[in-house]
Amino acid sequence: MGLLTNLKSSIARAASTLFAEEESKRIGIYGPPNAGKTTLANRIVRDWTEHGDAVGPESHIPHETRRARRKEDIEIERNGSTVNIDVVDTPGVTTKVDYTEFLEHDMEKDDAVRRSREATEGVAEAMHWLREDVDGVIYVLDSTTDPFTQVNTMLIGIIESQDLPVLILANKIDKEESSVQRIRNAFPQHETIPLSALEGDNMDEVYDKIAEYFG
Amino acid sequence: MPHQCTDCGRTFDDGSQEMLSGCPDCGGNKFQYQPTSAVEETAPPSEEPPDPPDPPVDSSVARTVGNAATAVRDLVGSSPSPPEPVEDDSSDPAPAPAGTETGTASTGTEGVDAQTAMAEDNAQASARTEVVSKDELPPAPETPKTASQPAPVVEEDTDSTAGTAPDAADTSDERDRPDLSELRDELNDQFESIKVLDPGKYELNLMELYDREEYIIALQEDGKYTIQVPERWEDS
Repeated sequence: MGLLTNLKSSIARAASTLFAEEESKRIGIYGPPNAGKTTLANRIVRDWTEHGDAVGPESHIPHETRRARRKEDIEIERNGSTVNIDVVDTPGVTTKVDYTEFLEHDMEKDDAVRRSREATEGVAEAMHWLREDVDGVIYVLDSTTDPFTQVNTMLIGIIESQDLPVLILANKIDKEESSVQRIRNAFPQHETIPLSALEGDNMDEVYDKIAEYFG
Repeated sequence: MPHQCTDCGRTFDDGSQEMLSGCPDCGGNKFQYQPTSAVEETAPPSEEPPDPPDPPVDSSVARTVGNAATAVRDLVGSSPSPPEPVEDDSSDPAPAPAGTETGTASTGTEGVDAQTAMAEDNAQASARTEVVSKDELPPAPETPKTASQPAPVVEEDTDSTAGTAPDAADTSDERDRPDLSELRDELNDQFESIKVLDPGKYELNLMELYDREEYIIALQEDGKYTIQVPERWEDS
């Protein structure tokens, strides 16, 4: 009888631990267009799920991602414990969308205009998610470009005003013109983690920090 | 080490002339000013999210005028001229808005000269006068562009009056500077969350998009858009 009681209590304990861990934090991947958000989302998903389905197509043409895409229940193991997150890959946030920008990429005008409209809807959606639906933010910046922009300052400010945990990633360190220091200087109040989502460089530290910030 | 290159982190003394032609090490041309008394002030952006990028404190009038102009420009119209990059914040400050923002900047070049000649070296004095010099400012660069913006559509119920845009632009081309009512109109425009400049060309007000409870789910080329209204609006 005593054995049965012990068994029951240990099952109950295991169940409560299980339920506690199942509460996934919803982490939004934000940043300007072409920073590498989808590349990062795909890498996280491929590294930590069995099937490794991609979150979305990657492209060098801006605004490839025009709808927020979510991948649920990604379990990241760090130092013996696990962190469960839902990753939301969002469209790049910008204050201007102009279809002529896409014409340079061999796109027909009609397609470019449609892409522009969808991108604008995507930004509206991303801002809506930020207000309602995320528990934390991974802010991805292209370290080869100037981080001192109105969009970056405004978004980081909004995130701070919401008291959301935010991890700033300096992406594309595989490129020669990359400058992580420039991003550190732009947002000295936050920790900046360098990486190359494309090459997989420094992903271990990124996962450590994801567990630390969002676990 | 009041000045620091934002690219490589090299530091320069106050008034150093080395950095006038770019950082000697990396060629960077952006420097942040770090007065010794302001080390603890590195985290103010959280207090004012909608402001333009100016995380570090910079006490030079040149930078202040640039920032002030940016602040006013962002306030008055998020995009005075569509092709202009957002981060271009110091090369074309508008004199009048800058003055209203800072107070000190509106005293004119003579005042600044007299005030600074004794306390500062030539580099700093020169930096001040150069920035406020009218020669370097384009003549009223923003007025015609921003005045033509009210026509495009935004809120969900409008019938896109894109056809009236050319008229508005024509009449405003002759004006040099915005008067108060124009400024007010432009400020009111900021409550719009998406402007349709042309089919396929949009301007977005991120703060407004973030602040609105309803959710835009589809845009149409005539300027209308479909929104999803929160459930708790059902009473009104």
